[in-house]
Amino acid sequence: MNAPLPELGVGIGWRPEIAGVLERLPGLRFTEVVAESLTDRALPAPLAQLRERGVTVVPHGIRLSLGGAEDLDQHRVAHLAHCAEVVDAPLVSEHIAFVRAGGTEAGHLLPVPRTRDALDVLAGNVLAAQAELPVPLALEPIAALFDWPEDEMDEAAFLTELLERTGAWLLLDVANLYANAINRGDDLGALLTRLPLERIAYAHVAGGAEHDGLYHDTHTDPVPPEVLALLSELCAVRRPSAILLERDGDYPPEAQLRTELDALARAAGLPAITSDVATR
Amino acid sequence: MSRVELAARQAALVAALVTGGKLPDGVDGARLAIARQALLRKQAGEVATTWPLLAASLGPAWIPSFAQWAAGRPPQGYLRDGWDLARELAAAGQLAPLGRDELAAREVIWRYNGRSAPQRRRLPALRRVPGGMIVGLAGRARRF
Repeated sequence: MNAPLPELGVGIGWRPEIAGVLERLPGLRFTEVVAESLTDRALPAPLAQLRERGVTVVPHGIRLSLGGAEDLDQHRVAHLAHCAEVVDAPLVSEHIAFVRAGGTEAGHLLPVPRTRDALDVLAGNVLAAQAELPVPLALEPIAALFDWPEDEMDEAAFLTELLERTGAWLLLDVANLYANAINRGDDLGALLTRLPLERIAYAHVAGGAEHDGLYHDTHTDPVPPEVLALLSELCAVRRPSAILLERDGDYPPEAQLRTELDALARAAGLPAITSDVATR
Repeated sequence: MSRVELAARQAALVAALVTGGKLPDGVDGARLAIARQALLRKQAGEVATTWPLLAASLGPAWIPSFAQWAAGRPPQGYLRDGWDLARELAAAGQLAPLGRDELAAREVIWRYNGRSAPQRRRLPALRRVPGGMIVGLAGRARRF
């Protein structure tokens, strides 16, 4: 199976608050938009302009609850499919998580128990979603602040089997990987050797901070050096064809965001997107 | 663990996180408490984007105030969460002028019963605020 994304270099998630920053990135060839932030009406104008410039847009779902024991919400699947069509996306992505249960929205991505039965439910939901999607689906393991006592598999084994059973691609979030290793006390060095890196469609990188002795994947803080180092390590083994910075609030001044994108490109060994590709 | 059991476990976890339900068997209570606080901080940040004046009027107290208010309540979306909090603060006489004006501007544009999604008003509405009034007309709030 060919990778769903060509070489697109470094990108940054499109958010209305930083639309202007993206507009002023001459080397930008790829972005992501939160699927739930799009409506059935026309695309936000700045996003439509990026599309006209030839920037690849990947819809990123956050509320499908693929790991939930309740039936998949067909309207949400249809919306994700619709998003893929309106931005002419080569793939869409979602999380390995659940976000609601018993009629209550958690407002957050929650970890699925890594048991055989939960894997069956998750794989069933993924297959059901894929049947309705016009493009391939990439799945992102989340950063979890806690684990379930009933866990039977580690994350690498769970993930490998999920991707094998569903044919889904991997959206590897380097910051989530870092967060989970720190918070579970796992060996960072050994992490990359057990993950199915050949299944990576693209990667995420985000900032975070320590609170209460744990690493929190906040998306509102700068990317720490440790996460950039892990990105470098990943790229040395197998560089993802596209690497995206996620920022979701407390937006820093434009210059700072551009510096962060340059640092990301450096860590990955990719050209900077803040200057024109021709003059890099 | 069947699908039904998984559903029950997930429901118990969400209840423990957002509606003050008891800790599901075997789950690390200290970790869950940290996750609950992280969730409230994140929610405060998101509500602040929809209610910037309300959040700004509380200054550095915004996150702790919001977190305290929201603990044990299921999130109803940024618009309603901020609205409910603003109304409670107003009723207690603790809403600073910026937050009060933002609340009035919302009240004249939308009809909100506190239980279901706000509906856009079809008719003009007004709210008196110290030194004038805020009028909602054709989907926009103006101060007079």
